[in-house]
Amino acid sequence: MKGLMRYIGIVKYILIMLLTIFVMSLLSGGEISNAKMESVAKRVTKAIDTEELSEADNRMVKRLYGINANDYENVVLYVSDSNMEVEELLIVKLKDTSQSEAVEAAIDTRLNTQLESFEGYGPEQCKLLKDHVLDVRGNYILYVVDKKAKAADKAFQKSL
Amino acid sequence: MIFSSVFFMFVFLPVVLLAYFLVPKKFKNVVILISSLIFYAWGEPVYVVLMIFSIVYNYIAGIEMEYHRKAGRKGRIKTVFLMAVVVNLFILGFFKYYGFLLQNLNRILPVDIPYRALPLPIGISFYTFQTLSYVIDVYWGNVAVQKNLIHFGTYISMFPQLIAGPIVRYADVEEQLVNRRVTIVKFGDGAAWFLRGLAKKVLLANNVGMAYDAITALPGDEISVLAAWIGCAAYTFQIYFDFSGYSDMAIGLGKMFGFEFMKNFDYPYTSTSITDFWRRWHISLSSWFREYVYIPLGGNRVSKAKHIRNIFVVWMLTGLWHGAAWNFIFWGLYYGILLLLEKYVLKDVIERLPKAVKHIYTMVLVMIGWVFFFSPGIGSAFSYLGKMFGIGAAGFVNATAIYYLYNYILLFLVLILCSVPYTYKKFSRVMLRKKSRCPVAVATYILMFILSTAYLVNATYNPFLYFRF
Repeated sequence: MKGLMRYIGIVKYILIMLLTIFVMSLLSGGEISNAKMESVAKRVTKAIDTEELSEADNRMVKRLYGINANDYENVVLYVSDSNMEVEELLIVKLKDTSQSEAVEAAIDTRLNTQLESFEGYGPEQCKLLKDHVLDVRGNYILYVVDKKAKAADKAFQKSL
Repeated sequence: MIFSSVFFMFVFLPVVLLAYFLVPKKFKNVVILISSLIFYAWGEPVYVVLMIFSIVYNYIAGIEMEYHRKAGRKGRIKTVFLMAVVVNLFILGFFKYYGFLLQNLNRILPVDIPYRALPLPIGISFYTFQTLSYVIDVYWGNVAVQKNLIHFGTYISMFPQLIAGPIVRYADVEEQLVNRRVTIVKFGDGAAWFLRGLAKKVLLANNVGMAYDAITALPGDEISVLAAWIGCAAYTFQIYFDFSGYSDMAIGLGKMFGFEFMKNFDYPYTSTSITDFWRRWHISLSSWFREYVYIPLGGNRVSKAKHIRNIFVVWMLTGLWHGAAWNFIFWGLYYGILLLLEKYVLKDVIERLPKAVKHIYTMVLVMIGWVFFFSPGIGSAFSYLGKMFGIGAAGFVNATAIYYLYNYILLFLVLILCSVPYTYKKFSRVMLRKKSRCPVAVATYILMFILSTAYLVNATYNPFLYFRF
């Protein structure tokens, strides 16, 4: 019995070591940014042409993406003033990274709805939609449909 | 995986039930354990590792304590016990509060410590409290050590109550893990509990939740006093029907596998005081804190000062248990203060009040409490509360408020009816008094099932509030 107990004690310490390794592996990568949404949004909007875009309120976020802005730390949405244009910018600051899946799914649904709407008669819009940028960085998510989407993404990454 | 999903109801549950009833008695817990790990891994493929760790580690800790007790080594028992408590609290603390701690440290310190906030493992607060109840009860000698790893694993991971409670104390199911029987009546009773819970969640909570979402998404200057109260009332109902619905489903599933779990809600919105409310809301959590924190601290059999300290410790922990955010801590302390006021100041006054006034008093305070609970931060909670009492609101009543009142008044009436025991008692009396009425009762449950399924198939909106805890 004594020998068995010693063996069991060793198993316990091995388990704690394994737990430590598990936790360390979870912690590597995908760091949380403390950057303020205002400064992130400012840098990103500077990189694209926002003259034809307007900042939307939480109701619009709910209507277009089906997500409740209050569930997140902060949400900024710019949409095109015209229904015939697809330029759009969404930045979401998550409360915790487990929310990213739901936001990505909402963006995906929005993108598909837009693609369906413009398919067949809006080749330019479809191209812009297909060239969209979706960038998930820790607690920040950027979704942008714009001809300068790549520049917006660069500004986004620098701002975090 | 959640209970209120088509896949769970039409694939997972039937397959598990079939396997459970086909295998011989000694393999029944194996079926529950394996299916529970699959159930958990479905949504948390990585964190299932954590759960397996928790099972094996606490199982070993129990065995060790038993061994040292037999050998008369009190010091060693204490070491094993303390280490087990530390490890369990570390797991909970790390995964739940690490991000919160660093976030607050970064606010105070001149430098920013970069960190990665990890997603919260679903149900971690529930199953860690279960493992703690086991190690504490083994240490105190209240229960015998569980020598069978399958039985112990079944207790920790049991899928009916794994992700949202009720928090089952080991002492309450110790016997049932080995000896339990499922009769046709118990199975039917379990199915009825499950269907009632499903309907509460899908038909009531999800629908009224839409009103809450819509109102809180309104720009601040469009929320009138009435709209703010409608939004708060909508959340008040949503959280009750959502959580109690899920608990009912868990209790029902437990019965279908032969288990009896304690009830988690007892018509909390019929309470006549805050003290009464906390005897009826999330009973398994309050009992846990009472047994393992409040009473060991001395409960109320100590000096007034110590009693006040005990209440604050328990309620701060209760708040913190709900989430790593200041508003939850504030919410917990809010109840601590109210309970102390009721005990030491208001007791006689409340007793003399007419019953209707007692109900209004309780509900207003509970609703104010929910504002702290649903708000993203303390600042926004006070801003919303301000609107409820006319500060910063768009008048007392506006067109938006009338619109929501008109659209939801019928649902609110149904919700009030379903919050009181009278409706359920009346249903049981009318339906079950005569055998001939049984088919009507069965038809009602089938209708509830069909309606809930139809909603689940159509609606994309199926959040579950208590998953975040």
